[in-house]
Amino acid sequence: MLCQSCGENMANTHIKRVINGEVKEYMLCEECAKKMGYGKLWSDFSLDFDNFLGSFFTENIPHRLSYDTLRCKNCGSSFEDISNTGKVGCAKCYTVFYDQLVPSIKRIHGNTKHVGKMAANVGKEKKVENELQDLNIQLKKAIEKQEFEKAAELRDRIKELSKGAES
Amino acid sequence: MDRWYQKTGPQGDVVISTRIRFARNLNDFPFPCKLNPNKKTEVVNLVNGALGALNKDEKIRGLGLRFIDVGELSKSERISLVERHLISPKFIEKTGGRGLISSQDETVSVMINEEDHIRLQVIKEGLNFDESYPLADLIDDILDKKLSFAFDEKLGYLTQCPTNLGTGMRASVMLHLPALRESGKMAQIASSISKLGLVIRGLYGEGSEPKADLYQLSNQVTLGFSEKASIKNLEDIAMQLIMQERSARSEIVKHIEIVDLIHRSYGVLANARLVSESEFMKLISNVRLGVATGEIKNIPLDLIDSLIINVQPAMLEIREGKNLSATHREQLRADLIRQSLTTKNS
Ligand SMILES: [Zn+2]
Ligand SMILES: [Zn+2]
Repeated sequence: MLCQSCGENMANTHIKRVINGEVKEYMLCEECAKKMGYGKLWSDFSLDFDNFLGSFFTENIPHRLSYDTLRCKNCGSSFEDISNTGKVGCAKCYTVFYDQLVPSIKRIHGNTKHVGKMAANVGKEKKVENELQDLNIQLKKAIEKQEFEKAAELRDRIKELSKGAES
Repeated sequence: MDRWYQKTGPQGDVVISTRIRFARNLNDFPFPCKLNPNKKTEVVNLVNGALGALNKDEKIRGLGLRFIDVGELSKSERISLVERHLISPKFIEKTGGRGLISSQDETVSVMINEEDHIRLQVIKEGLNFDESYPLADLIDDILDKKLSFAFDEKLGYLTQCPTNLGTGMRASVMLHLPALRESGKMAQIASSISKLGLVIRGLYGEGSEPKADLYQLSNQVTLGFSEKASIKNLEDIAMQLIMQERSARSEIVKHIEIVDLIHRSYGVLANARLVSESEFMKLISNVRLGVATGEIKNIPLDLIDSLIINVQPAMLEIREGKNLSATHREQLRADLIRQSLTTKNS
């Protein structure tokens, strides 16, 4: 399908707008979408356009200069690359540019905290972390109560668990 | 082995199919937009290498999962995969550094190096999250164990586009809504649905009147709602739409104009010698409405649903084994429709 704005390029961006409770849909090419203020990050989402434009730019402009020089060491992306293409370069980018990405993530999802399935390796680490925390509390209590034998046992388990977590 | 679109499932009078899609990425590689061709091939090989582990599982073994080198397929074969909803159109825009895993019945597919390293899809006929989600979940677990997916405790599964963060899951239901469209309520429905974190859009074409009145209902938000909560929400809304569509159907078939339209559409499809794609899509929707309401008898719904796939342009070219001129294609389409509608009907 051709772009509904210029009628020349192939449309690849699906824009949905809710205007006075009515959904309007457009198919635009990348260029026209960009011209109209829909970066790739925000295509495919129904938003109140005016609202979004205002708050997005005020949120990000003050930070811009200082972030230009920062690049992800793993994939070489800068925040500007990500914001221009709508594509995050790698998993590490989410750590490096976390503060800059969070406003748009919040805008897209209305949330910033994952709920649901966890990947196997992270699930394991999380479990170990929780258990370690628990053991440390027990250890503290044991020491307070001067139960030294129990404390020694707990120390051994903590040692063992932290070794496993590192490898 | 029958493919999913050759069968009718639960709520089949309104629901064509249910789909689960997971976006996943390997921990040790940048996302596809930052991968050079060699690295892409490496990812393809790694995912392909997980096939053995998948086929070891007894629940999965029977699916006959196999690897398909998309680059070796002809153009019509590639497009036909899109027509059968096995892959996205985007997946075949380029063919280098891509790979596909698919089951014999085409319910399971894994696109390698589309927007993310992995796009796992499970599709089932009818409204069927009870089977599609557990299967997707199981395949995901096995792949994760083998490949180790990029995940963050706060942001969930990490994806190339932030719109898929969190569960990385898009669940969707394909619905046939001729009566709701006829009632002029679709815009209103779409707007109220968007407030519930879901989106409904025409499946073919993006206009206000999608071809064949087929709509796709899917979850919009992936971060902050668990897979199960998203599916429950989607299922509830889908059921409401199904009930509304059914009651709208029973209303509109009381009108002689609609009954006439149904039989007239059948008449054209059962007799025409040339049928264009857009004419087919318009008429088959009326015929499907007729079959689902009992207005047309002796034609099973699964026949209609497989016809909708089989008469797509690339599907016809594959059947014929060569490229077709526009007229020849319309003729073959008409022949196929006539055969299907009249043999089982007599
Ligand atoms: Zn344009
Ligand atoms: Zn990066």
